[in-house]
Amino acid sequence: MEIKNFTITKRDGSKDRFSLDKIMNAILKAFESVEQPIDLGSISKIISHLDIREDIKVEDIQNQVEEALMREGYYKVAKSFMLYRQQHTEDRETLEKMMFLSEYMESVNAATGSKYDANANVEHKNIATLIGELPKSNFIRLNRRLLTDRIKKMYGKQLADEYIDKLTHHFIYKNDETSLANYCASITMYPWLIGGTVAIGGNSTAPTNLKSFAGGFVNMVFMVSSMLSGACATPEFLMYMNYFIGKEYGVDYWQRADEQADLSLKKRTIDKVITDYFEQIVYTLNQPTGARNYQAVFWNIAYYDKFYFESIFGDFYFPDGSKPDWEGLSWLQKRFMKWFNKERTKTLLTFPVETMALLVDENGECKDPDWGDFTAEMYSEGHSFFTYMSDNADSLSSCCRLRNEITDNGFSYTLGAGGVSTGSKSVLTINLNRCIQYAVNHQIDYLEYLSSVIDLCHKVQMAYNENLKELQAHGMLPLFDAGYINIGRQYLTIGINGLVEAAEFMGLKITPNDDYMHFVQGILGLIEKYNKQYRTKEVMFNCEMIPAENVGVKHAKWDREDGYFVPRDCYNSYFYVVEDDSLTIIDKFKLHGRPYIEHLTGGSALHMNLDEHLSKQQYLQLLKVAAQEGCNYFTFNIPNTVCNECGTIDKRYLKECPHCHSKNVDYMTRIIGYLKRVSNFSQARQEEAARRYYAHTK
Amino acid sequence: MLKYVNTDVVFQEIPDEVTLAINISNCPCRCPGCHSHYLWEDIGLPLDTDAIDDFVRKLASDITCISFMGGDADPKGVNLLAQYIHEEYSKLKVAWYTGRIRVPSIVNKSDFDYIKVGPYIRHLGPLGKETTNQRMYKKLEDGSFEDITYRFWKKKEG
Repeated sequence: MEIKNFTITKRDGSKDRFSLDKIMNAILKAFESVEQPIDLGSISKIISHLDIREDIKVEDIQNQVEEALMREGYYKVAKSFMLYRQQHTEDRETLEKMMFLSEYMESVNAATGSKYDANANVEHKNIATLIGELPKSNFIRLNRRLLTDRIKKMYGKQLADEYIDKLTHHFIYKNDETSLANYCASITMYPWLIGGTVAIGGNSTAPTNLKSFAGGFVNMVFMVSSMLSGACATPEFLMYMNYFIGKEYGVDYWQRADEQADLSLKKRTIDKVITDYFEQIVYTLNQPTGARNYQAVFWNIAYYDKFYFESIFGDFYFPDGSKPDWEGLSWLQKRFMKWFNKERTKTLLTFPVETMALLVDENGECKDPDWGDFTAEMYSEGHSFFTYMSDNADSLSSCCRLRNEITDNGFSYTLGAGGVSTGSKSVLTINLNRCIQYAVNHQIDYLEYLSSVIDLCHKVQMAYNENLKELQAHGMLPLFDAGYINIGRQYLTIGINGLVEAAEFMGLKITPNDDYMHFVQGILGLIEKYNKQYRTKEVMFNCEMIPAENVGVKHAKWDREDGYFVPRDCYNSYFYVVEDDSLTIIDKFKLHGRPYIEHLTGGSALHMNLDEHLSKQQYLQLLKVAAQEGCNYFTFNIPNTVCNECGTIDKRYLKECPHCHSKNVDYMTRIIGYLKRVSNFSQARQEEAARRYYAHTK
Repeated sequence: MLKYVNTDVVFQEIPDEVTLAINISNCPCRCPGCHSHYLWEDIGLPLDTDAIDDFVRKLASDITCISFMGGDADPKGVNLLAQYIHEEYSKLKVAWYTGRIRVPSIVNKSDFDYIKVGPYIRHLGPLGKETTNQRMYKKLEDGSFEDITYRFWKKKEG
């Protein structure tokens, strides 16, 4: 081999001068380690096998050395050389972890420090959150391996390679790759009501009274959440609580809420007993959770108007043969909302995320005027919650990102499962902006190109489903086996991101206009076509516009680096451009209206950002607007002000603390479904919050 | 001829209503400290019954009220449009933000559901300040007008 002035590429990508001495030393060390003598001539012979090219990678040189040693018959030495390399790889990994550890300790807050899941809803960083962070990179590797092995078996190596290629080139994004568990679920608590937590590995028996309900409920939610990577919705929470309060104080307890309920010196009333249980449950569930790397559980609940209640719980019987009582539940729902809204002025309580389900008539009027009125009242009092509206009680949103089509036959409580028992097993997101630009730049019809990406996503999700089935077959998923979740009602979700940006690239105006509408329908309709095509008796697909989370920021960054058109630093999670203040509030409802969301079977929530609260009458009118436009899922978002000096929380968006007049204030806002202090979001998502424009209501 | 520069759907200008506000140009008031200088010139698109029909067609029943912001160069024109809206779209309320100290006698007050009167005087402040000279009136069922300026002062409790 002729030795010239070569450049080599090191592991970190930097360049260095090629050094023959270094290679000779490494070979000598390998011989020494197995105590085998070697002379210079033999070393030259080994080296003569090497083919050193310009910019060769260190790994390639080492691979060649291994081969050269074996070619010359030094098998023992080659083995030692390989072991030595492996040891160094492991050392480098440990070193990387140590670097991460020190960076994490230095980071501003836990979410920014989190390398892999910047949405982590943790408030503080400490040893517990660090322990949760460290294995995340291994989980990503493991999840990719599990999935690609399965894809190879089902569809061949080429598709597995294509998946990794599309993933590493950011055409698609796998959500929640840092966890092994399936994503999120709206559970039925019926199995717990009948048998306690034994079936899912706990030791508590069925709740028998209000006290064991409250205590057992918290434990049950902790257990269920530790087996999910995302949210746990308990839409029956208040309905069950109402049952146990009724058993304790009589079904008409709510008409006698002022009566004294205990003999203690405090002389608590029934109302006080109830709100004390609210306090116990809500505060406990907002605590950091050991089993979830110090994240709080992501807990959702639902409220129903009379019609939804009848449609969902009409055929429900408690174990004692009684039926749920609407009057009591209606009172309890209102009591909980009022209590929770007030409590939030004392403490930053993130959970539960609440969804109000309202049925509307063809004129957009609430069929249950009492609950329509109450919804507007709660918004005007500054309470932050989601509203789901439908003109048909066959559809329900019980979770922040799920719409559940309730069908007659899928709705049987006798099996302990029902319309509430649904969820998403896994989310795989398509970066529409990159896909469409890639297609257009390569003179490919973008819908044709998208078809291939969508098809790939479905196959990957089918493979994921097989892995999940295998876990279940080995008894690893007791939530399914015990009936908390019905696997047949769980969706595989195709997420989308970068839709508005892709439309802007195509030169479309992002306003309610036909061209934009057809663009949206073309893409979402295509996804729906594949969702239907891949649907079988055991798998169902849905499509959702994923909340921007940190993915929107990541996609924008990656796409910009690769030279794509990127009009903003965080891709939208809406059908409109957030910073476009020429759009009215009505326009935004239109852009999340029927023609746009009809194919979004997984739901998308319109977060209507306002800088000031409206009056009850105005909210009532906006509920009507939402119903008329067919915008079925929305929330109003007005940042709450938190004073960093005196701790005062105010429901308004203020520049200065109304109590101590300090200007050192922070805001609580809803970014991906749940309320949090802006300064606890990761850096990327704080940017999103800052960039989010609040419609001036003046 | 009334002309308008732009429109917006607003919530704070008229209490309890979801309002389409129409910003009318050629404002003769010339209040010192005016926030809307761009409305002093005679610019924009003609504001006539066709324009009104167009707004209502687009917004259907999403709004509850239409408010004329200005138009003091042609109060009678504003009045005629208010009359037109009440006749054609009986569900919609009509409001007028005039910069005059009182409603001119050629205008029939009963064609409006809300009327804001008063120029902007810097040291007295806008409607939201309790020191303001401006007044917002709301028509009651018996046809009389109630001063509801206090609605702009009341801050909602947290």
